[in-house]
Amino acid sequence: MLQVGNLKAKPGEKTFGYLETAASRSGMRLDIPVHLIAGAESGPTLMLQGAIHGAEIIGSIAILDFVAKADPAAIRGNVIAAPVVNRAGFELGERGSRVDEKDISRLFPGNKNGSVSDQTAYIYFKEAISQADVLIDFHAGARTAYERYVLFTVENDPNNLSLMEKRRRKLVVAFGLDQAAFFPPGTFGSGASKVAIEEADTLQITLEFGGGTGWHKNGEDNVRDANRGIWNIMKAMGMIDGELEADGPLCTVYNAGVVIWKPDVDGLFIRDAKFKDALKTGDIYGRLVDPYTGELLAEMPTPADGIVIPSGQEWPTVGATSIGILGTIDRVEDRRTLDLSVSFD
Amino acid sequence: MKLGNIQAASGTKAYGLFQVGETHGRFPVHIPLHIVNGAADGPTLVVQAGANGLEIEPSLILPHVVKELDPGAISGAVIVAPLMNTSGFEFAQMNSVFDDKHLNKVGRGNAMGSVSEQLVGAYYEAAISKADALLDIRTGSQWSYHHYASVYDDGDFDKSKALAAALGLPHVLLGKAPDQSMAHEAAKDGIATVVAYIGGGPGLRDYRDRDLGRMRNAVLNAMRELGMIEGALSSDVDKTVVIRKHTVIRTTGARGFTFMDKSLRGESVKAGDKLGYVRHPFSGELLEEIRAPRDGVVVDGGASWPVPLEDVVLAILGDAVEEIAIS
Repeated sequence: MLQVGNLKAKPGEKTFGYLETAASRSGMRLDIPVHLIAGAESGPTLMLQGAIHGAEIIGSIAILDFVAKADPAAIRGNVIAAPVVNRAGFELGERGSRVDEKDISRLFPGNKNGSVSDQTAYIYFKEAISQADVLIDFHAGARTAYERYVLFTVENDPNNLSLMEKRRRKLVVAFGLDQAAFFPPGTFGSGASKVAIEEADTLQITLEFGGGTGWHKNGEDNVRDANRGIWNIMKAMGMIDGELEADGPLCTVYNAGVVIWKPDVDGLFIRDAKFKDALKTGDIYGRLVDPYTGELLAEMPTPADGIVIPSGQEWPTVGATSIGILGTIDRVEDRRTLDLSVSFD
Repeated sequence: MKLGNIQAASGTKAYGLFQVGETHGRFPVHIPLHIVNGAADGPTLVVQAGANGLEIEPSLILPHVVKELDPGAISGAVIVAPLMNTSGFEFAQMNSVFDDKHLNKVGRGNAMGSVSEQLVGAYYEAAISKADALLDIRTGSQWSYHHYASVYDDGDFDKSKALAAALGLPHVLLGKAPDQSMAHEAAKDGIATVVAYIGGGPGLRDYRDRDLGRMRNAVLNAMRELGMIEGALSSDVDKTVVIRKHTVIRTTGARGFTFMDKSLRGESVKAGDKLGYVRHPFSGELLEEIRAPRDGVVVDGGASWPVPLEDVVLAILGDAVEEIAIS
């Protein structure tokens, strides 16, 4: 029996319901919609998570497509799928939850005595994430950016990988994109939630996939490729049979430690750099111009040599945030020569 | 020509802030404006954009169009407001942050009204009411994506339609519904008026340069059509299809992930044809199929991002009544 809080599915069964979490002051419940797919045979547990940042919805659509097609009778193991974790943010098209101005993804393992988002994170982490062997966490560029790479946690010692790190290397490549990246320590925040997830022995890979500025042309392709990635991970984990499908044979892995931040002046942001551009120190990544006169206010030179990884803001107004990330090639993985299967026995 | 304290003599350009007053907190209530006053007499064209604080792509190109214009070669005057709603832009919202009003939903304004109403009132009186033509450029904000010019049936319809057809966009939509915008007031006043919908966030990544080019063409083509500058019309399409609107489809019964079939834009559909569908965002079940209520041509505009705003236009259908070569 697969059980996630108040939700259950017997072997060979697919169910849908709301994981009971917490209610806001008005009584609005923020329960999380969850699909359970209990395979007919035993095997590992895969967790799919979408829209923990409420406006990042490409993965949500891919998860729904996956659930619609998944046949429990043909699956070894279990799938827990939460297409929209942050319902308040989804409703308002926002990253966090306006209920308490918190970002659930930063709160794991949560706090049962905290705010609504703390309580939600606590129950969701305890009941869902912590029983998964693998978590695929779908993010995207919301309505203001566009992205396309697999993000994973930096390894402690590349020459002495832990079992989880070895497995994660394989799954990052197995997902099927042509680019992946890790951020060196200190690039962004403390990553306390990621540590909590690892300490629960759940392997996490994060998809930075799609976004609003590219939706009109690429949206359907993004959803298709995200869906393909879910099936690939299932294959790599031995949950279903079949060959992996990918962008191509190679996956370039970037050490993405060069972050370009918006300068102090503000105006309209024009991004000049394109994905995969190899920039030299001082090359112009983008510009800020006066919205009324078109006058150049600032140029954004790259602080170090690097290749533009497929990430970053494209909408002309940006907050106090990173607007681009450069990386150096750490390695190029060749799917033709790698055994990407991962066992959780 | 003088607008507020912005003054441009014949054959010169000027830029400044058309200011009406201040808020309680002493923030200026203003519209940034360019005046390009031609050396020769001729009509006055107002080009405005960004009444919605999230419709900001025109501000990436309109200032450059102003730089490009040579007042010595212009007959008449052009007034350009690249981004009217400065407070909405500042705080990334559609309405003015000072009074939560949409600058294009207060008609011709009100000198005794809220700060936005006062601003629009003074601007309308100083700029639009004295103009011969108004080109109001809008975009799809962060949710929709468009390429058409629309015309009200009010006022001097023939002049407005001719101006719309000259802009160089794929579609001209006739029969724009009356509303509370400055453009509708202008049309009722007999000013040649076009509301051009060009671009939007969902196409920004892949089509930014093309869409900014279309905005530039629209301004220059409008000036050519009005006899203000020499030259042939410029466009990346060779004809404009004129469509008489008969159906506007907005969010209907079901809410959720809403997918409109983008491949149908510009195509003819039959009554009952599927235009899109709505899925439950959590369970994935199909909630509704959106179908054409009658035969028509699908206008190149409408929602794109799958979580549309309430009351947003999902699709527009009409009858193709004319094709006009752009030359």
